[in-house]
Amino acid sequence: MVVRELGEPLYRGAEAYLYEYNWLGMKAILKIRIPKKYRHSAIDDKLRSDRVFAEVKAMYTAMEVGVEVPTIYYVDPVQKIIIMEYIEGKTLAQLVREDIDRAEEYSYILGTYTAKLHEAKIAHGDLTTSNAIVSSTTGKLYLVDFGLANLGSSMREQAIDIHLFMRSLESTHPEYLEDMLRPFLDGYSSIRGREVLDKLLSIVEEIRLMGRYVEERRTVWGRK
Amino acid sequence: MENVAIQNSYSIPISPRELYPRLDWDRDVIVLGIESTAHTFGVGIASTNPPYLLVDARSTYKPEKGGIHPREAASHHTRRAPEVLREALEYSGVSIRDVDAIAVALGPGLGPALRVGATIARGLSVYFGKKLVPVNHAIAHLEIGKLVTGMKDPLILYVSGGNTTVTALAKNRYRVFGETLDIALGNLLDTFARDVGLAPPYIVEGMHVVDRCAEDADEPVLLPYVVKGMDVSFSGLLTAAERAWRRAGERDKPRICLGLREVAYSATIEVAERGIAHTKKRETLLTGGVAASPILREKFREMATYQRVRPGYPPARLSGDNGAMIAWTGLLYYLLGVTIEVEDSSVRQRWRIDSVDTPWL
Repeated sequence: MVVRELGEPLYRGAEAYLYEYNWLGMKAILKIRIPKKYRHSAIDDKLRSDRVFAEVKAMYTAMEVGVEVPTIYYVDPVQKIIIMEYIEGKTLAQLVREDIDRAEEYSYILGTYTAKLHEAKIAHGDLTTSNAIVSSTTGKLYLVDFGLANLGSSMREQAIDIHLFMRSLESTHPEYLEDMLRPFLDGYSSIRGREVLDKLLSIVEEIRLMGRYVEERRTVWGRK
Repeated sequence: MENVAIQNSYSIPISPRELYPRLDWDRDVIVLGIESTAHTFGVGIASTNPPYLLVDARSTYKPEKGGIHPREAASHHTRRAPEVLREALEYSGVSIRDVDAIAVALGPGLGPALRVGATIARGLSVYFGKKLVPVNHAIAHLEIGKLVTGMKDPLILYVSGGNTTVTALAKNRYRVFGETLDIALGNLLDTFARDVGLAPPYIVEGMHVVDRCAEDADEPVLLPYVVKGMDVSFSGLLTAAERAWRRAGERDKPRICLGLREVAYSATIEVAERGIAHTKKRETLLTGGVAASPILREKFREMATYQRVRPGYPPARLSGDNGAMIAWTGLLYYLLGVTIEVEDSSVRQRWRIDSVDTPWL
C-alpha cells in the first residue's frame, strides 16, 4: 500500500496523512506516518515505528479503562499504518466556536477521560480540543491521536497533558479559557480527587515558570 | 578590542505599506532603536522612507570562558555603547536632531544588560527631548523578520539562546502555540558544547561548534526525542548526550554531536510543522539567533515543502539580536502614537509576547 494509490488525503496533518478507507466493507480511517527528510533516516524510522506502537498500545489501554477511542482494525508497523474506525462528527475545537455550552459539557467528559488515562499511567501527549471528536451519531466524545502517548507516565508527564490542554485553550480559544478549563478540571478531579489534581497543578505551574517568560502567576485554574 | 560591526543595506521585498496598511506611511519619521537584552549591544535607525533600515551597528560580548555572565555583558555594553551609537549615526548620516523617537528593548532579557540600554535610551530621550518608545525584544524579532521576507501572516519559529517558541497571530495578538518545556534550543547547544569542552568560542566561521563536530559522523547516536503537542523538551536530551560523551571514545564523539544536533533540530522543526498544520498559515518564518544555522535552515525548507507553505528567514545578521529590529518595531509603535514616560520605562525581564498588544496589525 503506497500513499500514491490512496489518492488525496482527507486530512494532511503534520506527521501523518489520514485517508478515508474501505476496510472489509466498513468505512475506516487509514493513518500513515510520512517519512520526513528533515530528520536523519535512522531517527525518523525509529520515531515513526515508536509512535505507531505507542498509539496502538495507548488506544487499547484507553478502551480497557472506559475512554472512548476509535476501534483499531489493522496495524502495519513496517509501513507505519494504522487502520481504525471512522468517527463521524465534529472536533471539540469546532464545537467551542459553535456551541460553547455543549462544548463545556464535553470538556468535563474530556477531563474524566484524561484522569482515567492517567490512572492507567497513560499520558496522551497531545491533548487539545482538536484531538477530541464529538460523534454526530452517538453523541459520545472520542479521544484520538495517541501518537505522542507515554505508556508509563510520571506525574510530570501527566501534568504536561494538563498544561497542553490549557495552552490549546489559551492559543486557540483565549476567550473561552476559563469556561472550558473549569469543567475539564472538575471532570478530572471527579475521577482522581482534588488532592491529585492539586499536586498536578502545582507541577503545571513549575513547568510554566521554567520554560516560559511569565510576567505574573496566573490563577485561571482557581487556586491561590 | 573588536570593531563595531556595521551594515546599512538590507533588501526589503515588499513595501511596508502593504505589510502594515493601517499605518500612515506618508509621514516622515525616523526612529533610533537600542538593543541590549543579552550579549549584543546594538543601535539601529529606521525610517518610514526607503531604504527603511538606515543602519544596523552592534558590538557583541563574547565570553572567554563559560557562558554569558549578565554583569559582564552589562559591563561590555557600557564600555561599547558610546562608540556603537556614534558609528550608527555617522554611518547613516543621520543627525540625532533628525531622530523623532528613541526606541528601546525593555525585555525580555538579562536584567543588568537590559538596564544599560534602558539607561542610555532614557538619557537620549531626556537630553535631546525625544519621545521614548518601549519595545518587546521578541516581537521585534518577528516584525523585522516579516519586513525582510515580505511575509504578512506567517507561522513563526523563534529560536535563540533563551527562546524556542512557535507563534502566530491569532485574535489580535501573537499567541504561543508551542515552546520549550525546559531549556531553549540555543541554550541546549551552548550548554552541551561548554560542558564537554567544545566551547567557547561557540560559533566558528558562522557555524556552531556542535554542528562542526557533527560533520565527522554519518550515523547518529540515538538520543531521546521528546515532543509533546507543540512543545519540545531538551533537558533529558542534554543529560543523555553528556552521559554518552563521558563514556565515548574519541571516534564516537562526532556521532554524539550528530545525534544531539539531529534530535534537537528535528524536534524543533517538527513542532513548527505541527503549528502550521494547526493554524493553517500559508507561510512560515524562521528567526532568532539559532536561525543563522545553515543546517537548521535546510531542515526548515524541507519541512515547508511537506506543508506546501512558503518558508523564509532573515539574513543571519538580522535573525540574531540587533538594534535595527528595535528601531523598526519602535517605528511601528511611534506611528500609532505609543510612547512612554521615562519614569514608566522600567525593564521587564520576563515580558511575554502573548501579553503584548499588536495594534499595527
